Amino acid sequence: MPSHADALASFIDSAPPGELSNVTAALKNLSVDDAGSLKPAYKKYNEEQLTTVKLPGGSQLVIVSKYNELEDGRYYDIEARTSWAFDHATQKASAVQTYVHESSHEDLVNSLYKALAAHASEHYPSSSIGVFPIENDSKIALVTVANKYSPNNYWNGRWRSVYVFTPAPSPSLTGSINVDVHYYEDGNVRLLTSKPLTFSVAGSPSAADVLKQIAQAERRYQEELHRGFTSLSENAFKSLRRQLPVTRQKVEWEKIGGYRVGQDIGGGRQR
Amino acid sequence: MADPFDSALDLLRRLNPKDTARNVGLLCDLAPQLTEDLLESVDVPLGVRRCRKTGREFLCCDYNRDGDSWRSPWSNEFEPPLEEEGVVPSERVRKMEVRANEAFDVYRELYFEGGISSVYLWDIDDGFAGCVLLKKSVNPSSKTSGSWDSIHVFESQDRHRTSHYKLTSTVILNLGTNTDTLGSMDLSGNMVRQVEQDMAVEDDGSHVINIGKMVEDMELKMRNLLQEVYFGKAKDVVGDLRSIQPLSETKRDKAAHREVISSMAR
Repeated sequence: MPSHADALASFIDSAPPGELSNVTAALKNLSVDDAGSLKPAYKKYNEEQLTTVKLPGGSQLVIVSKYNELEDGRYYDIEARTSWAFDHATQKASAVQTYVHESSHEDLVNSLYKALAAHASEHYPSSSIGVFPIENDSKIALVTVANKYSPNNYWNGRWRSVYVFTPAPSPSLTGSINVDVHYYEDGNVRLLTSKPLTFSVAGSPSAADVLKQIAQAERRYQEELHRGFTSLSENAFKSLRRQLPVTRQKVEWEKIGGYRVGQDIGGGRQR
Repeated sequence: MADPFDSALDLLRRLNPKDTARNVGLLCDLAPQLTEDLLESVDVPLGVRRCRKTGREFLCCDYNRDGDSWRSPWSNEFEPPLEEEGVVPSERVRKMEVRANEAFDVYRELYFEGGISSVYLWDIDDGFAGCVLLKKSVNPSSKTSGSWDSIHVFESQDRHRTSHYKLTSTVILNLGTNTDTLGSMDLSGNMVRQVEQDMAVEDDGSHVINIGKMVEDMELKMRNLLQEVYFGKAKDVVGDLRSIQPLSETKRDKAAHREVISSMAR
């Protein structure tokens, strides 16, 4: 039997895009007061979901992820040149300070940021991005998150792309895309997708080369996902239940009621 | 402050619908006072058992359960057998139940071309109540799977030559695929709809006909609704998040389109 804390952590872990505060409110109202023990669950959720936050006094959204966490638990953004403290349970930022991240890849990070920003503005109507040196400056993480929340119409969605680029000595690029859509009008429907990506890179790729690969992979994935919808609809869904019987007529219940199992109904198998 | 039961239901309509059965268990553990209400009002995928007497499979839910045993609609006996006599419907209602099971077995074959159906009825004041259950699972390929569970719960209140029917229907539809090119894609959930209707009743046979028609109409409506939400809405939201076509092209196309429209208007 999992402990209460494990149960609560699993609830937070599966909170849909934009609905963490609703999940938190429901848990509080169930008088499960475990706020202290839930801290790691909230942190994991925010970092994995690439939670975006508006800094006090700012207008732009910045990302919270494991890639831009500082040693003291604060987070930073290269473009905004700031760092901030983050309350994981309430998803609020505070104590904003000027912060410049030291990196031997400063130029590369900047050009990757510009290229990713250009790519994002071409394909995401609304998104936030971040480019961060990681693992002792040996790799660079490129993250994109696009959210669209429409709680008045009972749906919310999130697209996440994460790539890790190793510039040298042997260049490599890996990544993953995750899509999460929730629809909850008189029901609860969830689309969850996950796709790991591997790339082959040769020579010493430029920022433009890296983004070209990313753009290609994202387009291919989105097309594949469209085919996935069609295939589930045409195959699995159709073979579960017909829209009408083979006869293209609704059941004649008057006949079923009176007769035994129905050869008169047509198509019915006798037992 | 909201009622804790409402909060539990709110939580269940937000968390991953594939985990609903597990989450109901966890909630019962966290808030034991809600256990009975949650088990009664939250629909989870139906269990399957085999009837010892007839060898046929039947569906299990809270409505045919007595302790750890479930009543078979084919034999009216509990599986596994109970030590004491279990609760069974009155003779009149059991008669209708037998006919309803025969009728929905035909319905199941016509629409599902497989799967399992079970109908359970019970006596209430001024009438009877029941549930119609249908379940089917498919594996169109080794990498793709799907399952459909229908849970139709109804009440019939006798009036003069008519009956007032109240129907609450839940369909749980889980679809998933996992391939190298696509990765994993899971499209799962449930939708609930309710309807009330007065229908003419001559004899007990009329009830089976009336319930059959209501369930058939409801499933037709819900199948269309599921198709719209799963393959329309969900897909549209993905398109709202990310555009395959570069947005600058989309904008240019739109501007060109406006140009054409306005030149036609001139």
